[in-house]
Amino acid sequence: MAGTGKNEETKTLAEEADSLWLITFAGSIWAVHFLVCYCATAVICAKLGGDAAAILMLRLALGGVTLVALAGIAFVGWRSWLQWDFLDDGDYVHNLARKEDRHEFLGHASFLLSIISFIGVIYVSLPVLFLETCQ
Amino acid sequence: MRGRALRFSPVALLLLAGCTGTQSALDPAGKDASVLADLFWVLLIGATVLWLAVNGLFFYVTRIEPRSLSRRLAETLVIGGGIVFPFFLLSGLLAYALSIMPDQRLEGTGVQIRVTGEQWWWRVEYIPEPGAEPIVAANEIRLPVDHRTEIKLGADKFIHSFWIPALAGKMDMFPGRETRLAVEPTKVGVYRGQCAEFCGEAHALMAFQAVVMEQDEFAAWLEKERQDAVMPASDLARQGEAIFLEEGCGACHTVRGTEARGPAGPDLTHVGSRLSLGAAVLPSDREAFADWVRHTKRIKPGVKMPPYVHLSDEKLSALSAYLEGLK
Ligand code: HEC
Ligand SMILES: [Cu+2]
Repeated sequence: MAGTGKNEETKTLAEEADSLWLITFAGSIWAVHFLVCYCATAVICAKLGGDAAAILMLRLALGGVTLVALAGIAFVGWRSWLQWDFLDDGDYVHNLARKEDRHEFLGHASFLLSIISFIGVIYVSLPVLFLETCQ
Repeated sequence: MRGRALRFSPVALLLLAGCTGTQSALDPAGKDASVLADLFWVLLIGATVLWLAVNGLFFYVTRIEPRSLSRRLAETLVIGGGIVFPFFLLSGLLAYALSIMPDQRLEGTGVQIRVTGEQWWWRVEYIPEPGAEPIVAANEIRLPVDHRTEIKLGADKFIHSFWIPALAGKMDMFPGRETRLAVEPTKVGVYRGQCAEFCGEAHALMAFQAVVMEQDEFAAWLEKERQDAVMPASDLARQGEAIFLEEGCGACHTVRGTEARGPAGPDLTHVGSRLSLGAAVLPSDREAFADWVRHTKRIKPGVKMPPYVHLSDEKLSALSAYLEGLK
């Protein structure tokens, strides 16, 4: 029946709400990490640009923020890997309109997003490693 | 085949010749520029190898082995060639590029130079030591060889950009804000600088010469630059000086040691010793001086100096003799 089919769909969509959230996490961590690095550097360089100790503190702090961000993304990546459940059935394609496919698709997508976010965070942080002054 | 190779080689040589010269980042004469040239070659070679690999692979799978690959091989190609390999390659290149930045930003010592971008010329001041009276010049920059010189940059009304490709990277000049750059020339010679940020009608005609000198020659030159203008040596030049003051050139130009004290245009105290005229648009000889004074607008559209079309030929040649004598 059309009516019950519709209800069913609404119900499974509600169940997927969590993994819909999951898909946004890695990218959001990357974005927040970028903002923190950018703003902290801009403010410290504008106010205390010549102060070597302040810049060292800034670099150490951003190093810490970076480790936290990478750990967060790795965790999200791990959760999505489990949800994708690749080792179990080797599914690459999830194009059927059924619960399992939706579930694994969301896992698969957020796993790939975690990879790109992980790399993004590393590239954003590399200048902190190399540049020792605000020049 | 041989004939074709022979015909090809002069073309290749011509193309390569385009990379040399006084305004080429690929023909470096400064420490920073040579690091940048290396960076360019590394990136170019890397990009070429990548391009050949990608297109070679494409050629291989469409023309040489046009059948489907095993799942395993395809996965290895996508993950290895699409994620792992580019990640390490780009990380390496990014780390290399970042690692050269601190040295590019090292400060210079000794005589400091302040350059201000004007419409459409360069105000140049040499500051022998901090707090000392600046020695004012224009449209030419002299530098000691094998020494890192600090250059402070600013601008009058518009944004310009200071670039001597053979010596270092470029740096923008902003009104109301100081930026900096240091250059470390390694070869004596004359190089060309060019405004590298569109700044109005005469932007392309806003260039200058950078003259790299032996250190003791530079010191001697700076000492001479500090002096007031020499007295006109001939009758013609003395006449020229009178015309210069009569015509009101001194309202915009300074010739130190005379009544001419105008701050709006380039300092002309030693204009005769510059290698070029009008921000490197004309050579510096008597004819060019006359040409410039009579046809400023035609030579440089938008120029902030009026053309003196009404001056007679006699007056103009006297004026040119005077200006050329300001060594
Ligand atoms: C209204 C101000 C003004 C007056 C008056 C003026 N000039 Fe100029 N002059 C300038 C400016 C501005 C420049 C720079 C133009 C440029 O290169 O864009 C200049 C450039 C020059 C230059 C080239 C300087 C260099 O460094 O290459 C010479 C030479 C010169 N003027 C001579 C004269 C003489 C001679 C007179 C009088 C007959 C005169 N000027 C009157 C504003 C003035
Ligand atoms: Cu300009």
